Amino acid sequence: MNPEPTTLLQGTLDLLILKSLVAGEMHGLGISRRIQQITGGTFDVKPGSLFPALHRMEEEGWISSFWGDSENNRRAKYYRLTKPGRKQLDVETKRWGRISWAIAQALEAS
Amino acid sequence: MPLFVKSRSFLRNLFRSRSVEADLDLEVHSYLEMLTEENIRADMAPQEAARAARIELGGVEKVKEQVREERIGNWLHSVLSDCRYGLRQLRKNPGFTAVAVLTLSLGIGANTALFSVIDAVLLRPLPFHDPRRLVAVHSIDLRYSGQTGEISYPAFLDWRRQSHSFEAMSVWTNSSFNYTGGDQAESIRGAVVSANLFSLLGVAPTLGRTFIEEEDRLGAGQTPVILSYELWQSHFGGDPNVLGRSLTLDDDKYTVVGVMPALFQFPVQSERVELWITIAHDLKGKNAPATERGVAYLQVIARLKRGVEISQAKSDIQLVQEQLNHQYPDNRPRGVAMLSESDQIAGDMRPVLMFLLGAVGFVLLIACANVASLLLARATVRQKEFTVRAALGASRSAIIRQLLVEGALLAFLGGGMGLLFAHWATRALIAMAPEGLARMSEVTLDFRVLAFTFIVALATGVLFGLAPAVQAARTDLNRMLVASGRGSGTGFEGARLRNALVVSQLAIAFVLLIGAGLLLHSFNRLRHVDPGFLPDHVLTFLLDVPSERHPGAQRAGFVRALLQSTRALPGVKSASAIFGLPLADDQSAFTSLEIEGHPVPNSQRPRVAFRLIESEYFHTMGIRLVDGRTFAPQDEQGGPPLAIVNETFVRNLLHGDNPLGHRIKPNISFGDNDEAAMREIVGIVADVRSGSINGDAPPEVYAPQTSVDFIGETTIVVRTATDPNSLIPTMRSLVGSMDKELPVREVKTLDQYVSDSISTQRFEALLLGTIAALAFILTTIGLYGVISYSVVQRTREMGIRIALGAQQQSISFMVLSAGAVLTLIGIGTGLAASLFAVGLLRGLLYGIQPIDPATFIAVPLLLMAVALLASYIPARRATRVDPMVALRYE
Repeated sequence: MNPEPTTLLQGTLDLLILKSLVAGEMHGLGISRRIQQITGGTFDVKPGSLFPALHRMEEEGWISSFWGDSENNRRAKYYRLTKPGRKQLDVETKRWGRISWAIAQALEAS
Repeated sequence: MPLFVKSRSFLRNLFRSRSVEADLDLEVHSYLEMLTEENIRADMAPQEAARAARIELGGVEKVKEQVREERIGNWLHSVLSDCRYGLRQLRKNPGFTAVAVLTLSLGIGANTALFSVIDAVLLRPLPFHDPRRLVAVHSIDLRYSGQTGEISYPAFLDWRRQSHSFEAMSVWTNSSFNYTGGDQAESIRGAVVSANLFSLLGVAPTLGRTFIEEEDRLGAGQTPVILSYELWQSHFGGDPNVLGRSLTLDDDKYTVVGVMPALFQFPVQSERVELWITIAHDLKGKNAPATERGVAYLQVIARLKRGVEISQAKSDIQLVQEQLNHQYPDNRPRGVAMLSESDQIAGDMRPVLMFLLGAVGFVLLIACANVASLLLARATVRQKEFTVRAALGASRSAIIRQLLVEGALLAFLGGGMGLLFAHWATRALIAMAPEGLARMSEVTLDFRVLAFTFIVALATGVLFGLAPAVQAARTDLNRMLVASGRGSGTGFEGARLRNALVVSQLAIAFVLLIGAGLLLHSFNRLRHVDPGFLPDHVLTFLLDVPSERHPGAQRAGFVRALLQSTRALPGVKSASAIFGLPLADDQSAFTSLEIEGHPVPNSQRPRVAFRLIESEYFHTMGIRLVDGRTFAPQDEQGGPPLAIVNETFVRNLLHGDNPLGHRIKPNISFGDNDEAAMREIVGIVADVRSGSINGDAPPEVYAPQTSVDFIGETTIVVRTATDPNSLIPTMRSLVGSMDKELPVREVKTLDQYVSDSISTQRFEALLLGTIAALAFILTTIGLYGVISYSVVQRTREMGIRIALGAQQQSISFMVLSAGAVLTLIGIGTGLAASLFAVGLLRGLLYGIQPIDPATFIAVPLLLMAVALLASYIPARRATRVDPMVALRYE
């Protein structure tokens, strides 16, 4: 069963990108596929949102980029997590934890 | 750390945008290709795979645009692209751009230049210590007006001793010296001053010392001189050992004791003074000017004590003077006038300059109104563009930002050109400045004013540039699209505002033209005043024959010999000499006069101008002999003392009696053993405008030069057959061959004296004329713009009218009358305003009334004619409207 792809909550995309990069450096398509994979296909990140996010996060200093060769020997731009990026991942994770807990609480209340 | 990364990204985005863009392009494409490969691996046909990949990506350009919007410094990029777009818009409308930029730059430039001059001449404090406490004190002869307020040295010493309001008080007078230290004799401008002048001004020397108190008196050992920095550099090579050097001035030895700082100037006047000596110079010898209580020739500058007002100080010195009037009843009674030193220096130029500043301010207003109405007109044209853009989803803020950028661009272009224009105009003003305008050397381009005028221009550009946005905001998109599609009369309010702007421009231009017309008319009157002599083809120069090398009668003999040789030169018609050349204001001598058989007390005697002449003087100058005879050469050789008087003398002092045979006694003595003599009047000559070209002639007495002990200073006048300037080298070498240490000074043609005497009026007329012409041109452009714009707007209406059978005349009449109505309202308003404004010019006019019929008829006619011409061109265009084209228009 393939769940309906869902629109991303504001701020969630950053968290997912940071999380997917924990496994190691990756190019844009890799990040997109990785997010699909780790969310069980719930989130399909389109380039139209992925690229602006990547560039913004690079300007923030959370990730850095370099040009490398892909699995098929194709030039591709790779991204990797920086030290501030790991810190940001911590922050986002905690924030997300609070949000999901709060939402769960709200839904459980009767 | 993140901050560092951010600023690095910002700078990279800003300055390496090309490589950032290329990188992005590569990245997106590589993504697309990987996606395609993925699809192929999933067993898609290659074409299908690429298509699916492109669908998933959602458009390369769109993705890139989305990335760009996320970038740091994105706003800056938008502004830059707005600028590019704006520049493209301006380039697309070269006519509009040129007119708007030129208009702004003229307004900005003219204002900046004129204010720069006014700042230097009127507003900037004098370059002395605490200049607000410096005052000029005048001693005024109560029986005689039109003098500059000099005082005699003995009276000055009484002032200084008996007054209590001043910290210090000094005298000064201009002088020039024959300097013989260099290769050839040279005349150097200097000043004779009180020893305390420099400490009074609070200026320390660069080198050495200033004068000490004892040096005001005779017999203080060496006679000291202080040099200007400029003279030190040019004549002594900036030698630091110049102190103690000896200097020969007028055959006297002086010792250099100090050098003043660069640019130091006192007296503050248009001709620089290069050296200073003390008043002791005027105390030595018989008949020394500074020893006579009757010889008023010194100017007074004083420093008020702290907290003392000018009015208090004035009544203080007034009291002292009244005492002196009492104490010396033989001297003519004198009063006191006092004004701040800065007012003294600005002189009568203040009202003129302020008037001009007002005029040029109005030009800026006209320029801004022009730009405003241009922008408004364009706004209406562009309304459709903006409506379409808004309909396509451009945000209001994006449209406003773009309009702001366009307005600012116009202002910047105008400001840049304005700076250039201001630079030229300032230089032109300095070059044109009349002699009376002191401190012109201090004029520099004033950047505060440039900034101010630029901000006014910027505000105009931005404010009126925003008009379409305001209009767009007020109107409903749909209606606008439909309406502009039909091209019907949109922007009714815009039209009303533009009409109001044009009417005010016309009114302002009218007032300025009236002002300029009055000044030009008055100047023309002045130019055609008959000075009483024939100024063309006469060369003049001043000689100061020193008694040391030409003692006694040899001095007069020297001049006589020089005249003899001059008359023999080819191209010379006649030659003579005079002490007291007309229009050479520093060369006049006045004296009191006794008339035989009319005894009056000394203090009530009339004052007359006294001139000493050689034979052939009247003939050389072209002055008409009215009655009697002129002097013959033998009159000057020990015969009975004679005089020639002018017509005013006869009219005012002899009440029209036949003066021939009357005897008069001018109380003047020049030589060491000369007594004033009773002289018999032998001739009457025509009046000569001797003091100023617009003043009446004073009563004048001429006497033969050698009948008094010749004073040494005389002006040689030579009438030539050819260009008088061509004679200058010949005359120089002739004088040099007779005495190589004698400098030839003040070499000028008589025409130049006449022209210099009206240089202030010329300056005023020229400036206001230029300003008014500027206003006039700008207004004409503005009117033309408004009328031709309304024609464009009404093209469809015209087409219908023509299609319905309207005659060409009636169409052009319609357009012309629109222009004429605006012009008439403008002229009417201007007329009312100028009836007030001309009052300000009253003091500047010569020979005409402020409500001068010629000007008040010519200006409205001129304005009306040009306004009709400005409307005629669009009117003709209107008659050529092809009804078919007009109806299909848009």
